[in-house]
Amino acid sequence: MTIFLQTLPFLLDGLLTTLLVAGSVVLIAIVLGIPAGCALVFGPFWVKVPLRLYADFVRGVPILVLLYFVYYGLPAVQVNLSSMTAAVVALTAFKTAQIIEITRGAFQSIPTGQTDAAKSIGLGLMDRFLQVLAPQAVRRFLPPFINSLVDTVKGSSLVSLLGIVDLMLSLQQVIGRTHVALPVYLMGALMYFSINFPLSVLSRRLEKRFIY
Amino acid sequence: MSDIQSKPVISMAGVTKSFGLNQVLKGVSLDVAKGQVVAIIGPSGSGKTTLLRCINFLEEYDGGSIKIEGKEVGYKDAVGERRRRSDRDLAKLRGDAAMVFQQFNLFPHLTATQNVMLGLVKSRGKSKSEARQIAHKWLNRVGLSDKFDAMPSQLSGGQQQRVGIARAVAMEPKVLLLDEITSSLDPELVGEVLAVVKELAVEGRTMILVTHEMDFAKEVADRVVFTDHGHIVVDAPPATVFNEQPNDRLRAFLSRFGSFRH
Amino acid sequence: MGNYHFNFAIVWRYADKLFNGLLLSIELATLTIAIGMLIGLILALIELDGPRWARPLIRAYVEFVRNVPLLLLVYLIFYGIPSAVDLEYDATTSFVVTLSIYSGAYLVEILRAGLAAVPLGLVEAGKAIGLTPFGVLCYVRFPMALRIALPSLSNTYVSLFKDTSIASAIAVPELAYGMRWIEIQTFRTMEVYLLATPIYLLTSYAILMLLRLVERRYAITR
Repeated sequence: MTIFLQTLPFLLDGLLTTLLVAGSVVLIAIVLGIPAGCALVFGPFWVKVPLRLYADFVRGVPILVLLYFVYYGLPAVQVNLSSMTAAVVALTAFKTAQIIEITRGAFQSIPTGQTDAAKSIGLGLMDRFLQVLAPQAVRRFLPPFINSLVDTVKGSSLVSLLGIVDLMLSLQQVIGRTHVALPVYLMGALMYFSINFPLSVLSRRLEKRFIY
Repeated sequence: MSDIQSKPVISMAGVTKSFGLNQVLKGVSLDVAKGQVVAIIGPSGSGKTTLLRCINFLEEYDGGSIKIEGKEVGYKDAVGERRRRSDRDLAKLRGDAAMVFQQFNLFPHLTATQNVMLGLVKSRGKSKSEARQIAHKWLNRVGLSDKFDAMPSQLSGGQQQRVGIARAVAMEPKVLLLDEITSSLDPELVGEVLAVVKELAVEGRTMILVTHEMDFAKEVADRVVFTDHGHIVVDAPPATVFNEQPNDRLRAFLSRFGSFRH
Repeated sequence: MGNYHFNFAIVWRYADKLFNGLLLSIELATLTIAIGMLIGLILALIELDGPRWARPLIRAYVEFVRNVPLLLLVYLIFYGIPSAVDLEYDATTSFVVTLSIYSGAYLVEILRAGLAAVPLGLVEAGKAIGLTPFGVLCYVRFPMALRIALPSLSNTYVSLFKDTSIASAIAVPELAYGMRWIEIQTFRTMEVYLLATPIYLLTSYAILMLLRLVERRYAITR
């Protein structure tokens, strides 16, 4: 029992790193992904196609391969990134594609009648977007978005394979020292669970609330 | 009377529209004078809803011209070449041909009042307080004085549609377009909506309505237009259309509506 | 950027690692999907038609597995269990077990929704023509549920294929591991990734297209 208490601060440090990584990824991905998603829905042909290709490409490759590529592959062409930067870049690339999809889905699930009605009372494109479409898109965006945060936290565990001391690697280091494996893994599982489960519940609750 | 005839509110000439390979409108011409109520009837797929939606450019018509009080709707008046109007131009014009929809299409995140106010503030440039006054006035007129702050999800179908009518009429449009506005309603709610429309007709509003309610068309319309396969086949007063039934296809169509069987 | 000389020839020599890796990835995916579907179907049925007390247990299983990283589960089963219990198994077996448990949790949800969406009228029709409850299940409910759930299933299957890459963390010689292996041996990192990434892309795409074809023929959308 004392082992747990002794190692807990160390594990919490790892957890902090996990949250830091996941948090940065989500923030950057939102800033990039939501405008890109809007562009995918409303933009001209020459904007839609590259975005579409990007989203499909990134999501066809496992995150792990993406991570390896950014961290091990890029240095070969003189792009040397620290493990942390590489991790964030790779995870952000993946998450942005995800957010583009969620944003696209949010707008495209709004009935076309809404656009018709907005047009018919004389609203221009900006007003249609801001007053009618965006408010409804937000409600359709939030539940899958919150759900995707769970994937991000889970995906962040892969950065341990790059040597970043997140919760996952902390667990392994503790096991390396104490030679107690199963209980430590279970404790780690509990810690991940305690972050992700509330998010899952929140996402489901939001989904119920936002059904019109 | 001739004064009104010389300057139609809506004038359509030779309008054509295709969806892919399917030509839905094959050269439609129709003039609507101020204060007239025109009912468009016809089988599904005959182009009546498409025609209506071309008037406010929800559908882009391919050929011919549609003018609201002399102004070409979708395109700039240009000799020879026709250029599509900018979004801002279109927006201004659309407010003049406000539409009420079969599916109501109320904005679900706004109250009834806010639904009516939105066009007034953003398109007509009214102040919020002015817009609210106008919105309340119209919600009263359609019989929803106790539903100012209700959300659409709290309203029945008939109530939602009446908000839809208030929203369109509040824009003081030059013509009101009504697209099968009772087709999605439970039968017992149809009457309250039609009552509102009748009042508006009596007031002298210019209206074009696509409808399946033949009795209503007979009662309220000045003219009835029958479309079939993309053409206007009959364009006559209700008495002529429903009693005399001067056309075979019209007769076949009307025979499906029990009370008009000959 | 200019100093790097691309040398694909060296990488080609080890191409069999990639090819065999791909085969193993597909095998892993297929096996775990099969087992996962079995787990998912049985648990979905228990959750819908079974005893009340079973439901929170199934819920606990689903919530636990879905909220914990796959990597953690892989380590837990491969390192954690053998250290506590007197059990021994190789990495591949361990991974198949882990991914099956993982996929089961996701498939339970999808299959449950699919089964629940089968119109009651059809089930009653099945009973009316004399089918036993088991018969109704096989001939009416299951086929219908599959067709309704096809889009969700397709997406999940492709995801599971991509998740096989996690096996590389415990040295299972599938595609991602093959990539790393060649890269470590040859230092030709760029070439390996340029070669191998499209393999994942194309395979994911191929699986998706195949499933879309099946969808077109069989799927039921409201």
